[in-house]
Amino acid sequence: MSLHENPNRRDFLKLGAIAGLGLGLNAIPSADAKPDPRDLKLLDAHDISATRPRPAGNKPVWNLTTKPIEKVRVAVIGLNRGRSHVNSAASIPFAEVVAVCDIIESRAQSAAENVKKKTGKEPAMYFGDEHAWEKMLERDDIDVVFVATPWEWHVPMALKVMQQGKHAFIEVSPAVTVDQCWQLVDMAEKTQRHCSIIENCCYGEEELFVLNLARQGFFGDLKHAECAYIHNLGGGVLWSLGSEGDWRRDYHRFMDGNLYPTHGLGPVAQYLNIGRGDAFKFVVSVSSPEFNLTQYRDKHQPNNGQHKDEKFVCGDMNTSIIKTQLGRTIMIQHDVVSPRPYTRINALCGTEATFFGYPARLAIDADNKHPILDPKEKRSSHEWTYEKEKLTKFMKENQHPLIKKIGELGKKVGGHGGMDFVMAYRMLDCVRQGITPDMTVYDAADWSSILEISARSVKEGSMPIQCPDFTRGGWKTIPPLGIVS
Amino acid sequence: MLPPESQSRRDFLKFSALAGLGGTHLVSTAEAKPDPAQLTHLTTDTIGKMRPRPAGNKPVWELTTRPVGKVRIGVIGLNRGSTHVKSGSLLPFVEVVAVCDILDDRAQAQAEIVFKHTGKRPAIYSGDENVWEKMVDRDDIDVVYVATPWEWHKPMAVRAMSLGKHAFVEVNCGVTVDECWELVDASEKYQRHCPILENCAYGEEELFVLNLARQGFFGDLKHAECAYIHDQRNSGTYTFLDKQREWRRHYATFMQGNVYPTHGLGTVSQYLGMGRGDAFKYAVSVSSPEFGLSQLREKTKPNRDRSQDQKFVCGDMNTTIIKTMLGRTIVVQHDNTSPRPYTRGNMLSGSQATFCGYPNRLAVDEDNKHPILDPKEKRNSHSWTYEGDKLTKFMQANAHPLIKKAGNDAKKVGGHGGMDHLMNYRFLDCIRQGITPDMTVYDAASWSCLMDLSDRSVRDGSLPIAYPDFTRGGWKDLKTLPLIS
Repeated sequence: MSLHENPNRRDFLKLGAIAGLGLGLNAIPSADAKPDPRDLKLLDAHDISATRPRPAGNKPVWNLTTKPIEKVRVAVIGLNRGRSHVNSAASIPFAEVVAVCDIIESRAQSAAENVKKKTGKEPAMYFGDEHAWEKMLERDDIDVVFVATPWEWHVPMALKVMQQGKHAFIEVSPAVTVDQCWQLVDMAEKTQRHCSIIENCCYGEEELFVLNLARQGFFGDLKHAECAYIHNLGGGVLWSLGSEGDWRRDYHRFMDGNLYPTHGLGPVAQYLNIGRGDAFKFVVSVSSPEFNLTQYRDKHQPNNGQHKDEKFVCGDMNTSIIKTQLGRTIMIQHDVVSPRPYTRINALCGTEATFFGYPARLAIDADNKHPILDPKEKRSSHEWTYEKEKLTKFMKENQHPLIKKIGELGKKVGGHGGMDFVMAYRMLDCVRQGITPDMTVYDAADWSSILEISARSVKEGSMPIQCPDFTRGGWKTIPPLGIVS
Repeated sequence: MLPPESQSRRDFLKFSALAGLGGTHLVSTAEAKPDPAQLTHLTTDTIGKMRPRPAGNKPVWELTTRPVGKVRIGVIGLNRGSTHVKSGSLLPFVEVVAVCDILDDRAQAQAEIVFKHTGKRPAIYSGDENVWEKMVDRDDIDVVYVATPWEWHKPMAVRAMSLGKHAFVEVNCGVTVDECWELVDASEKYQRHCPILENCAYGEEELFVLNLARQGFFGDLKHAECAYIHDQRNSGTYTFLDKQREWRRHYATFMQGNVYPTHGLGTVSQYLGMGRGDAFKYAVSVSSPEFGLSQLREKTKPNRDRSQDQKFVCGDMNTTIIKTMLGRTIVVQHDNTSPRPYTRGNMLSGSQATFCGYPNRLAVDEDNKHPILDPKEKRNSHSWTYEGDKLTKFMQANAHPLIKKAGNDAKKVGGHGGMDHLMNYRFLDCIRQGITPDMTVYDAASWSCLMDLSDRSVRDGSLPIAYPDFTRGGWKDLKTLPLIS
């Protein structure tokens, strides 16, 4: 069922969705259809949980290896967010920015100039209309395409990228609906191309530190994690025309759930080995009332009052709890309108230690005998055993190998304090080596799916919604993410 | 106060309990020590059902009584109850008439303390599990404090009320939804107060937040978070496996949800005006795996007392989300075995401000025009507007009237930093004046029953469980608590 029927719009997405259900995957975005997220197919509680049979001929890509190459040739669609990826790639010696694409010409030019300045070579530019990207994809000198456009464009673009023989690195959330998640998985398995979610938050210094410790068993048995995307965009970004205000606020008008789950969920999913020994089992979700977008609009009449008839249905604070197959629990929240400081929470609770972010603090059980700890030191977890300078020191001593290698360079290149660069470096290096990138299409699907699943639970009065298994059983034997270096 | 009851009272109670509940529950007789594991747990469909008010019963939400010059109290249970004995001894308008505990040593010691402060020695009841009944039979007691293991609370409170005394009941007041209905019906039948002794609602920061919330400082309230997170595995002198914790540990062997909800929930309930214009609608609950007690037992072999054969079923971290009738959401957590510092969360989120506790911090929206704010000060909520010393100053400037009046005295008397004494002062003063105490039997029931509801939800795979309405519709018209002073 769609929430918003528009009979005049080409239903290429609906066709793609039906096709994705086993009738032949031929959903290529047509030249005339700009995707309207309100046309997306939403599933009922029963169908949303269904694990779809793998189409004949498709093969899993969780171990996909490709031919190693010396230089990874990169193209980027969407140069607002994507500009950071252009900068990263231009700063990586084994990458080359071949082409850049944006509707707005000046963005394309500015990005191209920047690449020329950094590398001496100017990439090709594609701009001017909503289909320039399709021309770019016809090139045969691109290995990886970064998709950094409004959410509703992600899947149409990524599908075409893979069909054209390139790997897709998709911004977050890669998919808006569970149906779209299946489309991504099936296309990646059909075309044997990588389709990674580029979740930069997994490459923050703090996140890699926690991952490093978790993988070494420092936390003992993991029981619970907490994460969030709490970032007040309600007074700025969400109304800003020519930028996210053009398309992001719209989702608040027809979906009530966690609209942006992956920044918090990605790192935590990696700590818990989701998709690699554990998996999401079900989700319950509850939303608060909606106040702040309406009140801001009424008080300030942004953009000359042109939004006066918009009705917002997305509760200000959405809280979801995910139960995993191994019984662990994850609390995940979304609030982009309330007056409170930014936080992703980033908490991990185990039998031997507890970590919380914002600010970073670590409590260590008195009985924790992990080798990185000084056995002579008396510790107690009744207060934060390490915080502030003491924790900074401990984090430095126990840095993730990736941070040790390129953390400093990342900070210089920038992009959310460096994590954009660290991620781009690592992901492109995987393609260079021909190995599977850290984040796969199954992560893209798992983490994105929480958007529609949380909305479905909210709609059903917080009924638990079982999660579909995009790995079709593979999660039980896929090995945990190694400590990448 | 009613005259001493006849011998047929006990039979009448038993009969009415059976009649009212279809024989599902037995009133404690003098011979039966209550075993909470034997209590009836209602089915998913019946647990939330409203029960018709027995004929002749009248609501007690505005119950007034004859003012008295001195409030005469008796205290059962002198471990926790010692704090109430102390308060009673120090309040000029209170007389501690009797003290009761199984252990004679405790009773003697408490009697001594009363004598030291007042020059009068209370009657002592001690030695066995039923001697409390004799104390409650006295005709010179206005208020009976019940501070015993949770399974004793309902039997003692109901009997006290049936004998004409008000019952001040420690947390949790009732173990099951059934017990909570019995408390409500007894209070309404005998027209006696039965408040929950939720001391946390009288903490300085809790009263500060309440003060601000009542004045509309937070704008429209949308969401709150609370918890009882307190690592109780090892208190220094004994562990959770030892005899001192036996009755409490017992609950971990048959309840799977939040076994101790009220310290967090009571406080945020008052912020949100629960039971007075809003009511709990449903609760959905998810528990993590159980590790803490099992691993503690492994670590502290040889096993102590009777914990050796116990199987612990209560997940270490329980996360429950409550949805209210007005749409607000409350996250309630419980974890008493993880290595992490103490916290009750104490978070309130509104359209104009956000408060978090542990440590205290307050974010104020730049549009917030509340009169207590300096209009010349530039504020933003992207960082914590008030924290550390700045918040301490702001809290002092905006202290709750009760804190202004009695806060320092309370700190001197002590008891969890003073909140115990402040609560006792306030509750007993209400009885002295003949007015309704701040917390009623409806609070006692609705906060305590989350223990049973969360257990039900977890057993049902996290189905949302309808909340029973102990006010039988009354909550819609009940006035918000005024700012008490």
